[in-house]
Amino acid sequence: MSARLFYFSLGFFGCCLYLPAQPCQERIEGRVLNELGTPMVTVSVAVASLHQGAVTDSLGQFTIRNLCAGEYMVQFRHLGYRPQTVKLGTGGTDAFLIIMESESGTLKEIIVHEEHDHLEGIQNYTILGEKQLSESAGKALGEVLKEIPGVSSIQTGPGIFKPVIHGVHSQRVLILNHGIRQEGQQWGAEHAPEIDPFIASNILVIKDASAIKYGTDALGGVIVVNPAPLPDRPGLGGSLSTVVQSNGRQGAVSGMLEGGIRNALGWGWRVHGTARGSGDFHAPDYSLTNTGIRELDFSATTGYHKGAFGAEIFFSRFQTELGILRGSAVSNLNDLLRAMEQEPPQGTTDFSYTLAEPRQEVSHNLLKMNAHWVRPTGSWRIQYGYQSNFRREFDLRVGGLSKIPAIDLQLITHTLEVEWEKHTSTGHQFTLGANGMYQDNQNVPGTQRIPFIPNYTNISGGPFAVAKLNLNQWMVDIGARFDFRNYDVIGYDFKNTVYTADLRFSNVSMTAGAIRPLGKTQTLKLNVSSAWRPPHVAELYSLGTHQSAAAIEYGLLLNDSTNEVMKISDVPFKVEKAWKAVVTHQHTGRRFQVETTLYANFIQNYIYLRPTGVTQNIRGVYPYFRYTQTDALFLGADISASMQASSRVTISSKVSLLSASDFQNNDFLVFIPSNRFELAVRYSATGSNFYVEPKVKYVSQQYRAPRVITVREIQEGVAASIDPLSGSQANFDFMAAPDGYALASLAAGISLPSGKGRFDFRMAVENAMNTSYREYTNRFRYYADDIGRNVIFSVKYIF
Amino acid sequence: MRSLIAFFPLLVLVAGCSKETPKKEDTPELITRATLTFAPVGSGLNVVVSATDPDGEGVQNIAADGPINLTAGTTYVLTIQLINGLVSPGAAGYDLSQEVAEEGHEHQFFFSWSDPTVFSNPTGNGNIDSAADPVNYTGGPHSKDANGRPLGLSTTWTTKGSGPSTGSFRLVLKHQPNLKSDTSDATVGETDLDLTFTLNLP
Repeated sequence: MSARLFYFSLGFFGCCLYLPAQPCQERIEGRVLNELGTPMVTVSVAVASLHQGAVTDSLGQFTIRNLCAGEYMVQFRHLGYRPQTVKLGTGGTDAFLIIMESESGTLKEIIVHEEHDHLEGIQNYTILGEKQLSESAGKALGEVLKEIPGVSSIQTGPGIFKPVIHGVHSQRVLILNHGIRQEGQQWGAEHAPEIDPFIASNILVIKDASAIKYGTDALGGVIVVNPAPLPDRPGLGGSLSTVVQSNGRQGAVSGMLEGGIRNALGWGWRVHGTARGSGDFHAPDYSLTNTGIRELDFSATTGYHKGAFGAEIFFSRFQTELGILRGSAVSNLNDLLRAMEQEPPQGTTDFSYTLAEPRQEVSHNLLKMNAHWVRPTGSWRIQYGYQSNFRREFDLRVGGLSKIPAIDLQLITHTLEVEWEKHTSTGHQFTLGANGMYQDNQNVPGTQRIPFIPNYTNISGGPFAVAKLNLNQWMVDIGARFDFRNYDVIGYDFKNTVYTADLRFSNVSMTAGAIRPLGKTQTLKLNVSSAWRPPHVAELYSLGTHQSAAAIEYGLLLNDSTNEVMKISDVPFKVEKAWKAVVTHQHTGRRFQVETTLYANFIQNYIYLRPTGVTQNIRGVYPYFRYTQTDALFLGADISASMQASSRVTISSKVSLLSASDFQNNDFLVFIPSNRFELAVRYSATGSNFYVEPKVKYVSQQYRAPRVITVREIQEGVAASIDPLSGSQANFDFMAAPDGYALASLAAGISLPSGKGRFDFRMAVENAMNTSYREYTNRFRYYADDIGRNVIFSVKYIF
Repeated sequence: MRSLIAFFPLLVLVAGCSKETPKKEDTPELITRATLTFAPVGSGLNVVVSATDPDGEGVQNIAADGPINLTAGTTYVLTIQLINGLVSPGAAGYDLSQEVAEEGHEHQFFFSWSDPTVFSNPTGNGNIDSAADPVNYTGGPHSKDANGRPLGLSTTWTTKGSGPSTGSFRLVLKHQPNLKSDTSDATVGETDLDLTFTLNLP
């Protein structure tokens, strides 16, 4: 038997060994090719333990259906070829590629890949599968993603999380929701992505800078939220999850029902809903007043898949109301000083479920229609998406205006994609496509405030090409894309007079990657990519103070002495462009697995807010920040390792290291996540799927933080007519980075069969020691501690 | 392939649509000018001083149009007027002092001055540092709010018998929704106004 190697990155699943009397709905799909890359027909594919199997069709494809979630040993046999047994898992949109070697062949190693939807080529990615998502049930998307090394978050209190990949976030991270670019008001640091993680079957985080198929903005990476594939035969399946949490007294319920249609093979449908609510969260020593959450989500989809044709329609709605910590509502520098020095924060009251100002109301609707045809000349895919995003932010205002939003934005986006893919007989794959987007952003009138960002229409799009080449020991992929983006802007300046602008940007993105097995147990993956992003109008034109920030922000195109709006041709503006190199090394042994990712991301013309000076207006003294450009460099490493100490005990560890700098000015950037380390020991009893897992997480202090100029120093400077920023344009922060901290948690779970399905129970205590701490990337670290102990109990029923 | 090429003219067609001008917002919260009118009780000329912020949220600093020059041994009633200069006079939202008066139960002006002897009444240095220090919330219909608590759109001041004195005079307007009480002070709530003028008694 020739040596074989498989490359496997579905994470660490417990295996569900229970086989219910009623059929389960999972499947394993794949393609079998020979060593020349030709699809192999009539290969016998068998799951030995189940006496279930399939036979490959004329394209070499097979599907084994009606499986329970888990991993199986699958045997491949064909006359004249060496039989193989490979461990494959269900879940998500995986399709495996198996290469068989003829008995007289000389191929030393056989590679098994996984092909995921929306994975363009050889990319560095990590996947959160169903099991891991269940263990984070009840949390917001940004909080769920923090489990992945290299991924952290920017928080605005305990309810708002924005994912950060390798140090970059917001406009530099692309989120694909069911294959559609998520278009909300991503420019805001307190605008969390409007996605319900309960709807996902798996979430992929791609760490390369590119999204050749999806356009601009993916300078840090891409987050792909994938649903499970639709059923295509009659039968009913579903799940119901309930999660309760002590901190915030939160309750969440999520249910999903799916099935086929009798006498209509190929048809499937699914409906899904989530409701979530919490009151004020609690730091160890005091309540965090006005941090409650309300959320209500719903989705429905139906589709037809049979043979060479498939079509689907999907609709989802996400709706939330979020409170903003009462003690963070500051108006000027004096207020900020008071808020920073006062603990508990101003306005702290006892626990309540009430949401008062300041708060946010957001809703997001998504409608998606797609179809695909597989033909001898290649496969065709076409997809249309419609999104509407409504965001209203309420502040504490004078004159009874608190009930009227201070920011009221409506964003409508249409996207259209067309793609053609061809597999050659030599095992290569070529994809050509194009996509376009039309977007309209409106300030809904009636806010009685000069809008923070202008109205605009955005038209963008472009063609792309990707090639995946199967070259002996190497699998190589290369891709390129051209994008154009046009903004048609109309807004009101500081004098409340109209201005307009017509902006045009265009550029090229490229990616090149390769994967090579090294010996029986190791793989090396490399990717070099370049991505660019056009500026957002918020970076060019915003003017004013933002929710809970005692500092004024000025856009790039505002004249620095007259505040007038300037033309982009009059300033030395260049689009942001990232050059990212990522290397991943994987070792998959029987007892020990480790994955190491090293990366370097050089972002030219990086747009950020730089402190520029101090101004005095009727409300008092304000430091002000201006959007400017520099070159930034992000270097880091993500390591995750696991060791099977015994048949029942697994020790796992994760490390995320990041060093970011303002390369041009030899300075530090603000709000960059610090280094974090995690160690967990899991004891699993295989019989009833019972596990216990204590875990310790250590987050170090961010030593690479900008200089500190306290509010008192600024006030003293202004009083003495001395420039409080001491004439230097170096970045600064009002407060030093908080100390490092360690959090301990304990989780336990058990899976029990019941009738047609099973119950998964889970209990966890997070921040078990009720440690008081502040997280550097939480924008509320100026005002309050982070949350204290949280006891979580969840039940999931799956059938 | 042809369908890919036919795709782009569709986008160009859509691009041809022109943009309509969005509705202009009223801006009732924007205070661009604060005018202090010291009206002497009895005979005499009013002393009027304004601080104007020429560009609202913009970078230019606020500037007073002169010092407050008061006469010794005189009692004045100080009335504060808040104006939004972006709106034409007479239009809604021009005079913001009215909003503050209507929401008196959520607002309070606090005062302080650098020379503790410049006024014979009130004594001391003002109530920004300590809410219990004396300030005369009397002299006009909006000296106090609807609950009888101090508001300060009108206040009464008596300068000392003879000068000279040079110093500063500071006023702070706090917005204290659900926070104003019998004990709330200048540290409570959000600051809507914080101005310092030069105060002279020749």
